[in-house]
Amino acid sequence: MVILGIETSCDETAAAVVTDGRQILSNVVLSQLEEHRPFGGIVPEIAARAHLEHADRLVAEAMRRAGLAFSRLDAIAATGGPGLIGGVMVGVMTAKAIALAAGKPFLAVNHLEGHALTARLTHGLDFPYLLLLASGGHCQLLAVLGVGEYRRLGTTIDDAAGEAFDKVAKMLGLGYPGGPAVEKAAAAGNPARFALPRPMKGRPGCDFSFSGLKNAVRLLIEDLPKPLSERDAADVAAAFQAAVAESIADRTRNAIREVAERWPAARHLVVAGGVAANGALRETLMTVGGEGGMDFIAPPLNLCTDNAAMIAWAGIERFRLGLTDPLDFAPRPRWPLDPTAAKRGGAGVKA
Amino acid sequence: MRLLAIDSATSACSAALWAGGAVLARRHRPMARGQSEALVPMIAEVMADSGLSFADLDLLAVTVGPGAFTGIRIGLATARGLALAAGLPVAGITTTEAVAAAVPPAERGGRTVLVALDSKREDVWVQAFAPDLSALCPIQSLAPEAAAALVTGPALVVGDAAGRVLPLMTDALAADRPGWPDAAVVAALAARRWADGQALPPEPLYLRPADVTLPPAGPA
Repeated sequence: MVILGIETSCDETAAAVVTDGRQILSNVVLSQLEEHRPFGGIVPEIAARAHLEHADRLVAEAMRRAGLAFSRLDAIAATGGPGLIGGVMVGVMTAKAIALAAGKPFLAVNHLEGHALTARLTHGLDFPYLLLLASGGHCQLLAVLGVGEYRRLGTTIDDAAGEAFDKVAKMLGLGYPGGPAVEKAAAAGNPARFALPRPMKGRPGCDFSFSGLKNAVRLLIEDLPKPLSERDAADVAAAFQAAVAESIADRTRNAIREVAERWPAARHLVVAGGVAANGALRETLMTVGGEGGMDFIAPPLNLCTDNAAMIAWAGIERFRLGLTDPLDFAPRPRWPLDPTAAKRGGAGVKA
Repeated sequence: MRLLAIDSATSACSAALWAGGAVLARRHRPMARGQSEALVPMIAEVMADSGLSFADLDLLAVTVGPGAFTGIRIGLATARGLALAAGLPVAGITTTEAVAAAVPPAERGGRTVLVALDSKREDVWVQAFAPDLSALCPIQSLAPEAAAALVTGPALVVGDAAGRVLPLMTDALAADRPGWPDAAVVAALAARRWADGQALPPEPLYLRPADVTLPPAGPA
């Protein structure tokens, strides 16, 4: 079984061809970073325009690298949401059109399900497992029970983790995107020089909050001499990164306990999303997983950040269960993985 | 020449199959939103009605704008996806020309056809055409007053923003046509333009940069 996947829900245009034998035949990603950099963040209309400009060319490139004609595909999958709707529409329409012209089934994949199932593509993992999904748009802990079957254990009640990194990077004048910039600065900093709060630490449940921490960083920077010295910026970045890691670690410990109680077969803690690229966080999570009796699994970085291989793979997981979507599918700006979970305020509600 | 034409660039959605100089099948529905749901099933319907497959086609045609940014992208992404999978070329047609060409010659009489389309802003998108439908000016984004001043002689005003320009003109009539493109008209135009080598590439005609302001200069 071979499926083409298309991803256009944020600021990467991507296409990939994946088999049910867990083989990635091609995986092409075009980042729009340079188009958005002058604005210090992602501009939805610029993103949508760039997706249209490149989507068909990237699909052609993915098919060429896979060495396949469209007639050899079993189905076409595209991210159907959640995400920036103008971009999602470009990918969905491209996929529907290819599906119609090639006479193949169409699948609308939940972008978050793509992230959630990646560990099954890369590591052949069995259900159930615990997933931390941390990116620019999301921060949640999920019990992954099966295809289309998720229980949200906790989510952010305000900013997403990646969003906090971006905002702190901006305050420190480190540029965009903030994750790699803060991590780089923090590597030269002393995390103990400044005291920052550990949001939600010690509280019951698995919810996150990063807005208060962001404001604490703002106040801290206000009191420092300007222009910020390299030393001060590095120490603030290190203190912030440590606070985020400790907060996420605390929430994850609670989630491990909850999963061990409710789904004792779960043996793995999986991380996904762009924030998974942060080395300090990975180290912390490996320790936390070990203490909780769970193996820590992090897919390779290029499959943690947004990509189309995960969309093609989620397409395979759904298609082999007999699931497809009609050609009148409406792209969904919001699409929670666990529809039974209560809505929360803030960026996390997107998911 | 057998071609499939589609439009979703303004406040309607349509698909038409054109062969041997006539419309074989057509679907058209006014809709302000929802084209991402309606368009591909409409295409499937006109293909089924015509009894043709994509392998039987010579050309695809699509409106490139101006219009609603999302609608323009829905049509273009669809056309480009079909083109890629079916190995077909795509002819781009402007919405203004498609709207002007929908007015029958008898109704045009000797009048200049002024097309005015909604830009979702104060300005309207306008283009004037001679009675023989040759363009008299490029597509412009103008305040309704300036749009009205584009034509001095007798005019016929058409388009979904016609109502904003017409009252400001002295010798103008409202066209007895809906102000949206129709894929059947787009198909006829594309057949001609393709033969003449005058079709546009399947690239969006936004006519306005993305709405965004640069952040104030910060540290570093």
